[in-house]
Amino acid sequence: MIARHCLPLLALLAAAASAQTVEGTIASEGAPVPFATVRLAETERGTAADAEGTFRLALPELGPFALIVSAVGYEPLRIEGAAAEGETVRLAVALDAVTVETDDVVVTATRTVKALEDVAVPITVVSADDLRQQGAVRLSDALESLPGLFLSDDHGTGLQVQGFASDYTLILLDGEPIVGRTAGTLDLDRLTVAGLERVEIVEGPSSSLYGSEALAGVVNLVTSLPAAGREHAGARVRAGSYGTTDATAEASIGRENWSARAFVNRFASDGYDLTPESFGATVPTYTDWTGDVRLQARLGAATLRLGGRATTQDQQGGFSLGSGELETRYDDTGKRTDWSLHPELTVPLNETVRVTTSLYGARYTTETRYVNQTDGSLYYSDDFDQRYAKAEVQADALWNARNLTVVGGGVIDERLAGDRYSPDASGAAPSAQQVFAFAQHEWAPSRLLEVNASARFDAHSDYAARLTPKLSLLVRPSEALRFRASVGSGFKAPAFRQLYLSFTNAAAGYSVFGATRLEEGLAELEAQGQIAQRYIDVAELDAIQAENSVAFNLGASADVLPGLTVEVGGFWNEVRDLIETQPVAQKTNGQQVFAYFNLAEIYTRGLDASVTARPLADLELSASYQFLQARDREIVDALNEGTVSGRDPDNREYRLSLSDYGGLFGRSPHSATLRASYTLAETTASLRGRWRSRYGYADFDGNGIANRDDEFVAATPIVDLTITREFALPTGRLAAQVGADNLFDTTRGTLVPSLPGRTVFASLGFSL
Amino acid sequence: MNRIALVALVGALALTACDSGGPDTEIVNLEATVVTDLPADPTSGRDPETGVPFSNNLFTLYDLDAGEVVLSSDDTDDRSDSLGTAWDIGFQGTTIIFNSGTSGPGTVQAQLLENTLFAELTTAPADGYLQDGENTCPGAAFPGGTSAGSPYVICTGGGNGWYNYDSSQNLITPLSGRTVVLQTSEGNYAKVRILSYYQGNPNPPDPMAPTRYYTFEYVLQPDGTRDFATTEVEIED
Repeated sequence: MIARHCLPLLALLAAAASAQTVEGTIASEGAPVPFATVRLAETERGTAADAEGTFRLALPELGPFALIVSAVGYEPLRIEGAAAEGETVRLAVALDAVTVETDDVVVTATRTVKALEDVAVPITVVSADDLRQQGAVRLSDALESLPGLFLSDDHGTGLQVQGFASDYTLILLDGEPIVGRTAGTLDLDRLTVAGLERVEIVEGPSSSLYGSEALAGVVNLVTSLPAAGREHAGARVRAGSYGTTDATAEASIGRENWSARAFVNRFASDGYDLTPESFGATVPTYTDWTGDVRLQARLGAATLRLGGRATTQDQQGGFSLGSGELETRYDDTGKRTDWSLHPELTVPLNETVRVTTSLYGARYTTETRYVNQTDGSLYYSDDFDQRYAKAEVQADALWNARNLTVVGGGVIDERLAGDRYSPDASGAAPSAQQVFAFAQHEWAPSRLLEVNASARFDAHSDYAARLTPKLSLLVRPSEALRFRASVGSGFKAPAFRQLYLSFTNAAAGYSVFGATRLEEGLAELEAQGQIAQRYIDVAELDAIQAENSVAFNLGASADVLPGLTVEVGGFWNEVRDLIETQPVAQKTNGQQVFAYFNLAEIYTRGLDASVTARPLADLELSASYQFLQARDREIVDALNEGTVSGRDPDNREYRLSLSDYGGLFGRSPHSATLRASYTLAETTASLRGRWRSRYGYADFDGNGIANRDDEFVAATPIVDLTITREFALPTGRLAAQVGADNLFDTTRGTLVPSLPGRTVFASLGFSL
Repeated sequence: MNRIALVALVGALALTACDSGGPDTEIVNLEATVVTDLPADPTSGRDPETGVPFSNNLFTLYDLDAGEVVLSSDDTDDRSDSLGTAWDIGFQGTTIIFNSGTSGPGTVQAQLLENTLFAELTTAPADGYLQDGENTCPGAAFPGGTSAGSPYVICTGGGNGWYNYDSSQNLITPLSGRTVVLQTSEGNYAKVRILSYYQGNPNPPDPMAPTRYYTFEYVLQPDGTRDFATTEVEIED
């Protein structure tokens, strides 16, 4: 804490009266400070100022007196004076706001730089030190042991936040969205943690600032550039189980008017096979490269920033179809490339307003090939190509210490190509245009209270326009106690397949059309004589809507003792208009034509508690617990009506009640984490444990829900340990690290393919 | 035919005192017959070029009264028995048909009861029966209404008829609480419950097991009444 000192503005005025009194006003930087405490020094006598900052206090004694004026968020002030008999002493007290010096600043919650403890929504920060200490190499490593977060396996490693599947969390790199999802999952293993200063995770909806996908949360990968006069170069290699290697070389330089950082990272694995009895590995062999450059230059008062990244992955696996003599083996190869470019210019217009203009372009392509091993023929191929371009302007107006306004707007253009996203009847490839505008105002009437209101409007070419508001409050009754509350909305745009898919399954004969392709797709099938019967008039359908939520988040944190912080929180998300397929026509082959509709409603709600303690300077401990309910409304209603039944493994039927409901698949009702890190001289040990209770993964008894014991993945405890030792060299430093993930060798077979059992690694890093 | 195993569940016979003068009869509990691994047009591999599965595209037709297969989906030569009234229920893939209406020359009347446990259904409903082609299926629920689906008595599609389809596991499981009730062409009432779609009736169901093999159980009341609990049979000396 740095306290700034300046002399109180003090005015002593005399007035004639029979009993002596002191009265006055309390302000800071010209604005009244409400509800400050005014106390006579060395006594219990005192009063509180009103909302306008005025107070009045009778003085019991004649002559000199001393007042202590204090208010949350301000430096306490001692004022001395003297009163004659019957005199009313008038004071104008000026308080100084406390200036907090902290490294923990975040940008994701409000799109402005803000101290972590001043953010009114649940937010977690993983620092570069944390990442190094735990030996994280990919983003999944950084997030897997955080309270309330779970990794999921579905076409890549996804992230579950507040009980939502991974398609509901937005992943950003320096504030811009990383594109490229498969079946809704943005594979966290695609993203190296090299070059990151920190990872910020905001829980609860942030669509009022970021738009689509920020329904469950936002993860922002924040890079940094060195300060002027600093230079750094380093290299790190790591090798571990299953031939997994990670190597990074990086260099950075900071000068008076410019700075730059560049790195290249290679990540590779031989994969592994959990089912050696059958052909084909569970996780295939792959090699992944990432190159990244960040630049910053001052141009007069303006600042120009440039970020660029390119990655590529090659993957080689195999699988077989059929069995015995009919078995046919296939090579499965995949190639992924993606890049992004992000120039940004910040220009201060005057002392109050600053304008940031950013352009962002990204492209993500994949190629998948299945080749018959026997005759070399191509069995299946799928290409996908996504392009994303955005232009955005944001203005930050810091009116005074109490009012900050952010307004912005922009346009987004997205283009798709690929086997499942063919051009429409007029020959146009799927493309979408979007315009958006957002505004946020932060108002801090006093250190006690901070209010943040924001809203965003999104108009999209292919789904209904929407307005997304959010309001959050932060209340600080004392420096050690913080309450936060927010109510807001989140949304997720219909996925590409839900808008643009035009797909007929050759094997089964059914067809699926995205919302923009339904009419022409049906017309084409009808012209070919393939439609037996239409169920509905598709021309009458309303435009498809984004899936949307209303969410409440409440929390409190208290610094109980120096070095001991307790946090509790709760969340409740009510989600509507979830998109599902329904048949819209019958084909002459007996199969159906499916389209997408806004149908389902779910809710997720939960309670979090965590304790962080630093009993010794070198020892840090934290523990957390989460209770989660993630449920489908329709199923809850049916269970309450008693219309759901199940079958035991002997096929006997019985009726279910709400208590039999295992919730949405993949959600554990209970989870806990434990972290400890201890530093002794140059050596640091980091122990991380996480436990989740059982969660449903399948329905075997034909009621669509997880209720039977064999429909659950058993409770899973995982413990990771990393030990790091640093050495000072004549020039530079060396860091050696060994670690074991999943120390106690927990596995769940093919139910959790990302859990191969205990793995070990060792790494060496050298830095100048 | 020889692939069909008819398994009568072992149950205790409930004997009653016989009248001295009348015919020698007794009241016995009706027992469920379990039919295992009835082929319903199973696939024999895939076209390596297109991935389309090979199958005969034919139904297996079953006579509940006689407890036997009338025509298997494997019988490709002579399908003339499909034009008769002996068969009651037919299976091809996930589609189930009855011998009446748009599906056959018979007079089968059937309905699919929801939220009805097979064991708890002791009496067939008096009404509510349909023939194939007469049904209104929950085709599409969309904002603003619901439209008609296929007209089969047992609606097609996951969640609509007898089964649930879990795309993440690629698994077809019979919906619990759904019981088929029908009156055969011979006028007998029967209740039917599908137990498995996979060969060998694996439990838990195994999506890797060969599909299109039905295991189902049924209770047939041979006396024409709607009672599924007991029936009167003659005692054989």
